Amino acid sequence: MLVRCYRGKLSVWAALCVLVLCWFYIFPVYRLPSDKEIVDEVLRQGQVWQKNQTGIDLYRKLLTECCDPQRMFAVTKENSPMGKVLWYDGEFFHSHTVNNETYALFVQDNPLQLPLKKCAVVGNGGVLRHSGCGRDIDQADFIMRCNLPPLSKEYVKDVGTRTHLVTANPSIIEKRFQNLLWSRKAFVDSMKVYGSSYIYMPAFSMKPGTDPSLRAYYALADSSSNLTMLFANPEFLRTVGKFWKARGVHGRRLSTGLFLVSLALGLCEEVTAYGFWPFSVGLDEQPVSHHYYDNILPYTWFHAMPEEFVQLWHLHKSGTLRMRVGRCPPQDGGS
Amino acid sequence: VRAPLHFSHAPLLWMLRRRMGYSDPSSGKDLLGNRSLCFIFICAFGLVTLLQQILYGKNYIKSAQQFSRLKGDETGNWTGPVNFSDDGSLKPARNGKKRYLDTYDGAYDYNSTACKELRQEIMDVKVLTMVKTSELFERWRNLQVCKWEQNKVETSNFKMSLSRCCNAPSFLFTTKRNTPAGTKLRYEVDTSGILPITTEIFKMFPDDMPYAKSQYKKCAVIGNGGIIKNSKCGKEIDSADFVFRCNIPPINEKYSADVGTKTDLVTINPSIITERFQKLEKWRRPFYEVLQNYENSSVVLPAFYNTRNTDVSFRVKYMLDDFDSQRGVFFFHPQYLLNVQRFWAVQGVRAKRLSSGLMLVTAALEMCEEVHLYGFWAFPMNPSGIFITHHYYDNVKPRPGFHAMPHEIFNFLHMHTRGIINVHTGQCR
Repeated sequence: MLVRCYRGKLSVWAALCVLVLCWFYIFPVYRLPSDKEIVDEVLRQGQVWQKNQTGIDLYRKLLTECCDPQRMFAVTKENSPMGKVLWYDGEFFHSHTVNNETYALFVQDNPLQLPLKKCAVVGNGGVLRHSGCGRDIDQADFIMRCNLPPLSKEYVKDVGTRTHLVTANPSIIEKRFQNLLWSRKAFVDSMKVYGSSYIYMPAFSMKPGTDPSLRAYYALADSSSNLTMLFANPEFLRTVGKFWKARGVHGRRLSTGLFLVSLALGLCEEVTAYGFWPFSVGLDEQPVSHHYYDNILPYTWFHAMPEEFVQLWHLHKSGTLRMRVGRCPPQDGGS
Repeated sequence: VRAPLHFSHAPLLWMLRRRMGYSDPSSGKDLLGNRSLCFIFICAFGLVTLLQQILYGKNYIKSAQQFSRLKGDETGNWTGPVNFSDDGSLKPARNGKKRYLDTYDGAYDYNSTACKELRQEIMDVKVLTMVKTSELFERWRNLQVCKWEQNKVETSNFKMSLSRCCNAPSFLFTTKRNTPAGTKLRYEVDTSGILPITTEIFKMFPDDMPYAKSQYKKCAVIGNGGIIKNSKCGKEIDSADFVFRCNIPPINEKYSADVGTKTDLVTINPSIITERFQKLEKWRRPFYEVLQNYENSSVVLPAFYNTRNTDVSFRVKYMLDDFDSQRGVFFFHPQYLLNVQRFWAVQGVRAKRLSSGLMLVTAALEMCEEVHLYGFWAFPMNPSGIFITHHYYDNVKPRPGFHAMPHEIFNFLHMHTRGIINVHTGQCR
């Protein structure tokens, strides 16, 4: 009986599955608020913001428990001795064993002077354009930027000039500097904008990213540049990814901005985030470009930017960090 | 004569054979059939070759020993059983001929009858394999007593034929003039490989050839042979107008007394960069520091030799630009190299690839009036029979069968006797 009618059983199961899928489509368990709702929410909140010391302390404690950013955020000689296996956080079962050659490239110990007082994490969102936040940003003690943004004259008013830590994605080196296989002058010259800051590269996250990152180190060292290269610790990146996944960020990978915000929450006493706005419409209903310097959209479904924004907005509402999404208030005086 | 089957495989093969219905019909009968005869021939050939090798090798070593004993006076502290005659200038030689054993060269004039005789002796050796190496060495040593003089007629003839075939003053390097953008450049070895000259590559070329015809009076080409060690030729080399070197040899204080420091052109083999500097994909400053040892010298790379060399060679140019170096970087024109190879093949130097030394000598012959060679010697012992290292700085042997060094050197010796180039193998003073 069972053997004879298996075809009939199969169709029944198939129909049931389709029904369940339809059910979930109509009544989703989890739904991201639409852009419009988020804009409304942000507008309702307005410029009101109250610092919440308990929230700050709580998050610092949570992050220290899960990820230990003070010790683990970079690959150092302390936390990655010779022979340590670094498991790539963006790959399945791929690792790099620290050997003589790579060990020499690591910094001795965490180079940041802790604790940091006022941190600014500058995203590259299009909202920064014409925001006039440059002076605001420059007043912070520690300024973090993402993915080697341009700091040319036309943007200074909006994004500031000082930098203490800037991340660089290996894919940028691959695209903009031909993997540093040919001329390296363009790369070294473009790095002069960042003064004597730290360059934070996820060298051990993706397989194709390792060689360009190491090459960036060699290029900077060859030209005796005063930038310091820090390689992101894959373990730190993985634990931070887990931390946010548990809080409802379902991207394949966190964006660099969120990594930096988590780092800042763990290290700084006061965090302000600028330029985090992943939507195509601004607060004033005007279209906003994706980055403040261009409008090249990223690969879809790689980062879950809106979800990340919602999380950050929760933190903003609870007073743990401050988000700047509109214009910065014009400051009095010339300071 | 079938190879015995391995135990574990035998039943399997047998089963296979059963299933396929195949069995070798001649398996039992083939006693002196085609295959077995062929096998015997191969064996015999191999055996004969081996025997030859052994016999020849033994002979070679024996002759060399004998040879060094006879020439005891040049080994310095080792006198051996040879009794010096009272003045030491004339001694009966082995085979009754006269031997000229002056302790300094230049005693005999170039055109004296004795020298003509000596030169004829070398010219009589038509091919390298005609005489024992020791015999050739002796003749070469005897020739050292004669002064070298340039033979104007021979030299101009030789230069004429060179300029007809190769034309270094306009085709030695790729320049903007001889390789316009858009040219499809054919590689020297990978003849199927074609490199279109894009504007990016075109920008790296010099505007025109930096060297004109017969621009320099006296040129020196420095080979890296171990023969140059303890030669004290540094001063003489530095006094030349133009100095060529091969494969970025070390010229630090340890060697400068022997090899000099002046360098105007140095070749780099991309394989050196690949091995010692990781193709310049990692650190670049160490390589730059190495190049800094050669003051004002230009760098020449065989970029279009094969496809693997191209990237590495271009990287050298990019690197020097990054470091704001004014050093010239040139790439050999593949067509020039092919022409030179063809030219020398006619002269009897047949090899997979000519050594970069020979390339430089060829270029120098067209660029200079007088060409002096130092450190070119491709035999395991120097003319007086003392074993020497392969290079003056190390003793790493090259891949066998790639270069035909002894043939090249033999060719140089001939050219020396014809008065075209001057090969220095002894000590300078």
